[in-house]
Amino acid sequence: MNLKGIIFSISLFILMSFGLPKNILKKVNKEITSTFKTENFQLESMLFDQKLPAKFHSNNLFNISSDQKLLGFVYVGKAPSKTDIFDYLILFDTEFVIIKSKILVYREDYGGEIGSKRWLKQFEGKSKNDNLKLHEDVIVISGATISVRSMTLAINNVLESIRILHDKGLLE
Amino acid sequence: MKIAIITLLFLASTLSYAQTVSQDTTATKNQQMNAAQNILNGTNSKGITIGGYAQVDYNQPEGDNGKLDVHRLVLLLGYKFSDKVQFVTEIEYEHVKEVFIEQAFLNYAVTDNFNVRGGLMLVPMGIVNEYHEPTTFNGVERPNVDKSIVPTTWREIGIGVTGKFDEASLRYQAYIFSGFASVNGTKVLGGSNGLRNGRQKGAESTVNKPNLSTKLDYYGIPGLRIGASGYFGRTQAEDDVDSIEGADVGVTMIGFDGRYNNKRFTARTQYIHALITDADKYNMLYETNLGSELKGWYAEAAYNLLPLSHEQRLDAFIRFEQYDTHAATQDAGISRNLEYNRDEWIFGLSYHVAPGAVVKADYQFLNNAIPNNESKGQLNFGFGVWF
Repeated sequence: MNLKGIIFSISLFILMSFGLPKNILKKVNKEITSTFKTENFQLESMLFDQKLPAKFHSNNLFNISSDQKLLGFVYVGKAPSKTDIFDYLILFDTEFVIIKSKILVYREDYGGEIGSKRWLKQFEGKSKNDNLKLHEDVIVISGATISVRSMTLAINNVLESIRILHDKGLLE
Repeated sequence: MKIAIITLLFLASTLSYAQTVSQDTTATKNQQMNAAQNILNGTNSKGITIGGYAQVDYNQPEGDNGKLDVHRLVLLLGYKFSDKVQFVTEIEYEHVKEVFIEQAFLNYAVTDNFNVRGGLMLVPMGIVNEYHEPTTFNGVERPNVDKSIVPTTWREIGIGVTGKFDEASLRYQAYIFSGFASVNGTKVLGGSNGLRNGRQKGAESTVNKPNLSTKLDYYGIPGLRIGASGYFGRTQAEDDVDSIEGADVGVTMIGFDGRYNNKRFTARTQYIHALITDADKYNMLYETNLGSELKGWYAEAAYNLLPLSHEQRLDAFIRFEQYDTHAATQDAGISRNLEYNRDEWIFGLSYHVAPGAVVKADYQFLNNAIPNNESKGQLNFGFGVWF
């Protein structure tokens, strides 16, 4: 898979700077820098004009490239906590395998434990062929069950969307 | 004919228009009430939150008449003024006829891991005082340690800081609260209820000595969550008596708790120990029998009888509790009452029919340390919801 192929397969590009709120963008950039060990990278939004389990609007999925070389992808989304919503990020390698996930902004007291780096490690290595089941594949944090369920569902939805897009040949 | 068609078309368009509006109205209402709808509609995190929990119980002691009770019905109301500023309140109806405010505080999120909050807040001690929604614990009633030793729902007015560190999987809380009242109306602290009568609950609370409450929670080991709580201070006395000897007592309470889950198995444990100083003078002044130490613990194991692929859960559980409001009495200048040294076996089922709704049944063997005391049995049924 090369950058050119991706450019042709996706339906629309919108520049990153128009999309994400400043505070979110800052955190996204920080995660990319620390994961790919480079400050020199470009983000390009990948938009898919179809119904998918997760949102793939103009500021959800981005490809990350450095000097014309594809490093991976980043998905930025929102999911519900008990009474609010939180922002999360999933970093993928070039084959859409999860390298890292992170809670970017958590807005209520209840369930904030899902931000735990140790807990989020469980999603690493998962890819489009995985469908994670609570308690079985994902260990629950006592006192944060609702947000644990929500984050697991969010990840499943993103992975399933990627599988659908992949099966349609839109990610080749 | 032409006019008729136009009229018909006009009517039809009005009808369809009206329908759209009403759907929109519903959507707007939902959006206000439901966080998930907020996301679907792409709105930002602002506005009103509505939620609540309730528990309806049937207690049937052996040989006595039963009790049917809408034990707790709590309405949660929150308002988000901005991403940083939020107000949270819980209005509680207890036994249908008593109204309380369970929480009412303003939270300011200074950074991602540092919040300042003030108002009526829960005292973080043990598990159930903070996580008291009926879908989060086994048994129709809350554990008795969380009634006699930790007087749930324990809340006072204060100010404090709280936050979480994602890297360390650590949550911290530290508050300065108003303490228990030495005398609450006509009620005093004593052997049977421990500190329970002293809860001021934010209702025209007396304050003359600040109390410190802290808790640390660590959840960095998968499936395990452990907590350590500490509460330090003195009870609050009214102006006219506060200089009299015995007008207040010192309260130090520490707690350790643990929760574990692994697939279908869950377990939890809790240990609470309270030290009361100057109880002797207090007992003398108010002619009561408050112990100088209160102590309690429990351990519980549960197993989900349904396959994990089911959305429903059927937890069979068993728990042993031991709690003594007269764990020490010598320094309190009173004689020890073994009736207050209680233990309990409880086993039962929690049938989670959907996430947020549970139907419960259990049986309790209630015992105390009086020699040859026969344990009392009690059968309980109930349901709980949390939304």
